[in-house]
Amino acid sequence: MRKNPERKITKKHLKTLTKNSGAHKLRNSSRIVKYGAINFARNIWLSAAASLIMTVTLLILFITVIASVILSQTADAMRDKIDITIYFKPGLSEETLAELSAVMSEDKNVKSLETASSEEEYTRFLKENSDNIELINTLDDPDMRKIMLSTMNSTMQLKVYDIDNLDSIKNTVAANELFIKNVDKNKEATYDEHRSEIETITSWANIAKNGGIVLGIVFLGISILVIFNTIRMAIFSRREEIYMMKLVGADRTFIKGPFLVEAQLSGVLSGTIAATLGYFGFRFLEPKLTNYGIDVSTIMNILESNKLVLVYLVMILAGMVIGTVSANLAVHKYLRKQTH
Amino acid sequence: MILLDRVTKIYSGDSKPALDNVSLHIEPNEFVFLVGKSGAGKSTLMKMITKEENPSSGKIIVGGIDLDYVKRRHIPHYRRRLGVVFQDFKLLPRRTVYENVAFALEIAGLRSYDIKKTVPKILDLVGLSDQAKKFPAQLSGGQKQRTAIARSVARQPKILIADEPTANLDKATSKEIIDLLQRINDFGTTILVTTHNENIVNNLQKRVITLKDGLIVSDQKNHGIYKLDGEPETVYSNAPKAPGFRRSAPEPAEPPAKKQKRKLIM
Repeated sequence: MRKNPERKITKKHLKTLTKNSGAHKLRNSSRIVKYGAINFARNIWLSAAASLIMTVTLLILFITVIASVILSQTADAMRDKIDITIYFKPGLSEETLAELSAVMSEDKNVKSLETASSEEEYTRFLKENSDNIELINTLDDPDMRKIMLSTMNSTMQLKVYDIDNLDSIKNTVAANELFIKNVDKNKEATYDEHRSEIETITSWANIAKNGGIVLGIVFLGISILVIFNTIRMAIFSRREEIYMMKLVGADRTFIKGPFLVEAQLSGVLSGTIAATLGYFGFRFLEPKLTNYGIDVSTIMNILESNKLVLVYLVMILAGMVIGTVSANLAVHKYLRKQTH
Repeated sequence: MILLDRVTKIYSGDSKPALDNVSLHIEPNEFVFLVGKSGAGKSTLMKMITKEENPSSGKIIVGGIDLDYVKRRHIPHYRRRLGVVFQDFKLLPRRTVYENVAFALEIAGLRSYDIKKTVPKILDLVGLSDQAKKFPAQLSGGQKQRTAIARSVARQPKILIADEPTANLDKATSKEIIDLLQRINDFGTTILVTTHNENIVNNLQKRVITLKDGLIVSDQKNHGIYKLDGEPETVYSNAPKAPGFRRSAPEPAEPPAKKQKRKLIM
């Protein structure tokens, strides 16, 4: 079969036409950046509107992340402070306490465990009340000391990994023979003493974590939508220009590129503004939060160290990502509608 | 240079074709007027040459490129080989005269040094050296069209197509624009101009192709006369196959005078 000569000639021509050198691509990239910057400056009001919306979004994300970190840190600190105390009959020997510890240590939920004999509990009691001279003087009496020791419980203090799941520990205390034999039936273990506090903190921490994620996603969505529409408006107002660019031979990259650069510049500006506002806002609120007993040291350590640069970079990057995604969607959608 | 072989275009939803089995061959360095009333199919033909539209059937070859094989990704590269001028100028409103012309060179990836060297020469050619820093809104119709022409010839294309370039201009300015196109043609560029301005066509005495209801009804070489409301002098048959197809173009009846081969910009 004879080969179509037109096809051969056309292919040869097209091959020459589409041959772009590295230098050519580099020149085009720098021109795309230049035109993006020029458009950003020439459409300053549209750029300002997009930047403002992006700043609000980034600031909300910043606040959400910080609130979530602070609350979960507070919750963790509270959980760490909470322990369970099991009371044994007074006067248990060290050996018995060691046996009881060995049994309890087998439970996988037990993080750490400490036992105290009646003697140690008594010493601790004296130490805790060292300010009360009258009481100390009374207890100084040997008879009194004997009475106190006979009533002072031996104890086991537990820290657990999962405060919400104490069934296995409760089961050990209620069913293990050694425990049944030695536990003081008149004094309940403090499983539920801090229950309400734990629940409150846990629920706040969960709200902050989950709510933060949801809120972040919602605002991210809103932001992308608004920026998407802003850019679509910009594209719509420049549709003639885009059409003309196509007719004189501009390729998609050359048409799309400046819009992306414009949105990325908005992202850089918004990221910088949001990080600055966030930093000064947090510094302003820090004494007030500390007064409420909220530990903000971790966040302050980050903001006061050279990690602040990292915070700025993350915010700028987030702004650029939001800008790129929105602009890409808008331009892609528009250009896809056009046939050629 | 431009070859149409039995080209038909039917827009979706239309029963009547916009172009009906049209065949024509334009030689290199020719200056051709494509005339006809509104709706005759002139713009459709132009759009198919710029690959804005594809023919429903038939073949189009421009500058050795068979447009059937020009894929979507090739289109920008293909268009860079053409110079295109429009009735409504289609200038970038946010860019100056200089930037509009430079844009055509920038998208082709030329070095900034070359662009800085070329653009002033082009502006000088079209007589706009003193308007370089103005934005399109600050220009007259004639100056806008000159800018558009400057942009279209900046890459020194072998083919320049102009769709009603004088439609929005007064008589004197129209003449200036046509003179400018003729000068560009003298440098060796093939020019295809659509118009329905009788005076321009008849004064220039160039080849005139007349379209009517999607058919070529007349093709007068070198001494074309066009009457807007009159019947064409010679009816050109819509030949089953364009002369010159498969690169075997017969000599035109009266071969055009040999063009002075000069560079548009030295």
